[in-house]
Amino acid sequence: MALFSQTSHQGFQALLWKCHMFWPVSRCRQLFAASFSIPSREKINYFSFMTSSSTALPVDPKETGVLPTKERSEIDCKEEKGWDKETKEIPEGKHHFSSSVGAAKKRSMSPAVSRHKFTDVQPPEKPLESEEWNRLRENFQLPEIFEEVMLNSMIRCNSPIDVAKSLLTHMAKRDSDVAYSMLVKYLTLCVQQGQVSEICDVYDIMKVRFKILEIGAYNLFIKGLSNSDQWRMALTLLEESKKIMIPSRTSYESCIKAACCHQEMKLAFELYHEMLAKDVVPTLDVLQSFFDFSRGMKGAELQKELFSILLYLRDNQIYPHKTFMWSIKLWFESIPGRNWRGHLTNIKNSGQCPVCNHQLEDSNLTEEEYSNLSERIIRDVIHGTDTFRKTSPQEFEAFQTFVENRVPFDIVIDGLNVSHIKPKKMQCENLRDAVDCLAKDNVRLLVLGRKHMLLNSSNWKREVMKEMQAKADFFFAENISEDDAFLLYATLRSGKHCKFVTRDFLRDHKACLSDSLTRHLFRKWQRGHQIMLTASGDGRRLKFLPPFQYDCVVQTTGDTWHIPYKDVFEEKYSYEVPRKWLCIQQK
Amino acid sequence: MQSANMLLKKIVRSSVLPVAAQHGMKRDLFPLSRTLSLSLCLKQDNSCKPSEKLDLDAWKKVMKSGLQEEVSETVSEPQELSSLAGARETLEMWRLAGKLVPEHVSEEQLKTFMECPSKSAKKKYLKYLYLKELHKKNDKRKMEEKRERRLEAQEQTSKTDETKKSPFLSLWTSTMDKAYNWRAAQSMIFGQPLVFDMSYEKDMSVREVANTVKQLVQSEGCNRRAVDPFHIHFCNFKDDSLYHREFLKHYKEAWGRLLITVTEQCYTEVFPKDKLIYLTADSPKVMKTFDHDKIYIVGSMVDKSIKTGVSLARAKRLGLETAALPLDKYLLWNTGAKNLTLDQMMQILLTLKDTADWKKALEFVPKRKYCGFVSKPVSELKKTLDLVNTLKLGKRREEVQKQFAKNYPKKYKLKQK
Repeated sequence: MALFSQTSHQGFQALLWKCHMFWPVSRCRQLFAASFSIPSREKINYFSFMTSSSTALPVDPKETGVLPTKERSEIDCKEEKGWDKETKEIPEGKHHFSSSVGAAKKRSMSPAVSRHKFTDVQPPEKPLESEEWNRLRENFQLPEIFEEVMLNSMIRCNSPIDVAKSLLTHMAKRDSDVAYSMLVKYLTLCVQQGQVSEICDVYDIMKVRFKILEIGAYNLFIKGLSNSDQWRMALTLLEESKKIMIPSRTSYESCIKAACCHQEMKLAFELYHEMLAKDVVPTLDVLQSFFDFSRGMKGAELQKELFSILLYLRDNQIYPHKTFMWSIKLWFESIPGRNWRGHLTNIKNSGQCPVCNHQLEDSNLTEEEYSNLSERIIRDVIHGTDTFRKTSPQEFEAFQTFVENRVPFDIVIDGLNVSHIKPKKMQCENLRDAVDCLAKDNVRLLVLGRKHMLLNSSNWKREVMKEMQAKADFFFAENISEDDAFLLYATLRSGKHCKFVTRDFLRDHKACLSDSLTRHLFRKWQRGHQIMLTASGDGRRLKFLPPFQYDCVVQTTGDTWHIPYKDVFEEKYSYEVPRKWLCIQQK
Repeated sequence: MQSANMLLKKIVRSSVLPVAAQHGMKRDLFPLSRTLSLSLCLKQDNSCKPSEKLDLDAWKKVMKSGLQEEVSETVSEPQELSSLAGARETLEMWRLAGKLVPEHVSEEQLKTFMECPSKSAKKKYLKYLYLKELHKKNDKRKMEEKRERRLEAQEQTSKTDETKKSPFLSLWTSTMDKAYNWRAAQSMIFGQPLVFDMSYEKDMSVREVANTVKQLVQSEGCNRRAVDPFHIHFCNFKDDSLYHREFLKHYKEAWGRLLITVTEQCYTEVFPKDKLIYLTADSPKVMKTFDHDKIYIVGSMVDKSIKTGVSLARAKRLGLETAALPLDKYLLWNTGAKNLTLDQMMQILLTLKDTADWKKALEFVPKRKYCGFVSKPVSELKKTLDLVNTLKLGKRREEVQKQFAKNYPKKYKLKQK
């Protein structure tokens, strides 16, 4: 009787919860309809995961076309929303995308439970007796996974841990054991709520019960303990987890933050260097916390370390986001007796900082870098595994001699790319406009194209081509060759002053380069040498965006620092660079 | 509001009020709480009084007590395990944590697991093993069920005990095999050659090679059953290569008896160059008709990470003619890469050879990859596809156009005058 009302109450709540979602009622209906129109075979697939007596091969629950994509994405988004709500309750705002609690949840959620099937299970609000749990379990559609689903929903709803405890007690009484996965889920809940004593208890139990732990549990322990006064224990756990696998960056992050919090900067930096040595990429949060916690502290050693972090940003072409930038600024200004002053500014194409009139580094590569990059482009981009993939040896040789005889060019144009700029105009006219714009005062032009441009077709008129060939050199590659590779080669071969025109971002060519250092060089060179063009408005004129005169990286002259920063997630592509800068100078 | 409610509930619990509450005073007393929740707390009051609280930490005691004996046996200090045993432990823990980990792992698999360069690679490999295990289990179970059914059926027939006399002998598989082999033998002498280029081993991962061989085995099977089989050539085939070992795994001792030609030579040495046509999806030329005098070459390659232009490069290097299947011409392409699996290629070529009917042949292209057969000019279809996609996916028009531009070469672009 009591339980009946309880379950009905729960059902009622679940229903409410379902309907206050942001679907209109019709959407709800559609959803139900969709879930009823599952072909029977797929239904079996669905359950085959969960039951031991499965009858069909499993299908990845994400892949099953049970719901049309749209619904599925909405459901995902609903889940995400739920997570956002919860992550807000975790202290310290996160900037990087994957909140580790979310990750932990994903980790603990075995794919056996189809994600959007049991999101409507409401955990009880009070601890229950064993009999009550039993009854709930019997009423659940798949009793085998009842506990798992229940714990997952507790994590999702952030239930009080007493409720989870009562469930664990019920399980322990029934089987005189609690499964490891359940313990991990319970641990997730404790970490979520910062229940330190519970975390320690779970650790003691696990330590005794299992010979080794897996990395997921370690991550949770480290995360949970690092925010408490037991943070030293988190460090020992980090040591332990190294025996199994390389710890995750979030584990390092938690430990470093804890060390910073307790003013153990030396320890924090040790961990940081260890992390770099293991090729674990530090999160921006870690770097930021160094600046946050060193505010107002003295010490040449510490300053050196923090400068080295800034140089790390420089070497890896990382741009700090706004809050990180503020941390850097405040730290600089807090150094006693140094009188650093920071200003926010925008830097124009000239590359002169309006605040301190300092000219930023230009984007030219050194001789060594330049020859290195040229070599790598020929080796990796043009030849790659097989020269025939992008061109052919004969063709490339012909092109090389062609370039050698005419070098140096000032501007190299990707003919086909430019010819598509205005879809309403004929392609050859587009190209002619561009060539006319650029062909001024003895600029040596090279236009790269393909052989089909020479055939007198509706898009490529012979007389227009003739006209252009008087103004610029042309090279026509085979129709099945890649012209971009030639573009890079000709530009590099002509020397540092040479620019190239294309709207292509050259991402695929960057990807051909095997190591990140060369990729960074490539991007730097690209920024300094690529002329982008856009058709303005209804396209009477072509607009050329000049390449950057200055290099967009963190840079210093000793008594000034210039740090580019981005508004959070504004520049999301690797070829985009921020325009906003933090200028720091010593008064 | 809430606190008032709580207070009221407390008052209700204080054992004086329940009687009153049950006598219909609740409507005046509790304007805020639903009867449902009220009755709930009343009932709970009876079932579980706060005085007899649950022992919430009982599970800890259970966990600890159940382990006392074990602890005395095992040293709780983690000893330095040998790496293999350590890996096994890790796997076991992952399995307990609910990750997709197979139950049984062989030494060889464990070594492969340890050689995985990254954590994600390890997880992927484990998932693969796990699924493999699951498939195996399911197959086994199905076999058993089938056997049981057969036994039942036999029992029933034995009861009825009516042996029908058939005018035909029942053809057992061995007889069928003989017939097929005769055909294949004929094709070895008179059949049109079809070349599989086996020179891609270094472009593939181990698993891709295994997949390739699986597909080749299937293709060979299709060919054997065909009315008019091809004479299959495996060219550029190195002895003791990965391909070879995989084939031996599949065919075992039948490998030596296969009615195909396996050679280390290149196809250019075996056949006249002008007769060879290399089939590759990257080819600019589109195949119009199936030519019975030409020798088609198919690259034996599975590329999961679409590496464009690898086989086209081979053909260019040797100066061979190339061709691509006219997928765009006959199918309204929807999604997926245009490189087909080897067995699909085989089926398509066999059908073309027999019927010269493109529509029939392209039935073997996976259905998910196209929306339908083309019967109208492409420009009109484009509009239809636009509409379909807008309705189906709610995609924006430009995206659809981009997708279309990717799938269809420029010559189909609508002329905008």
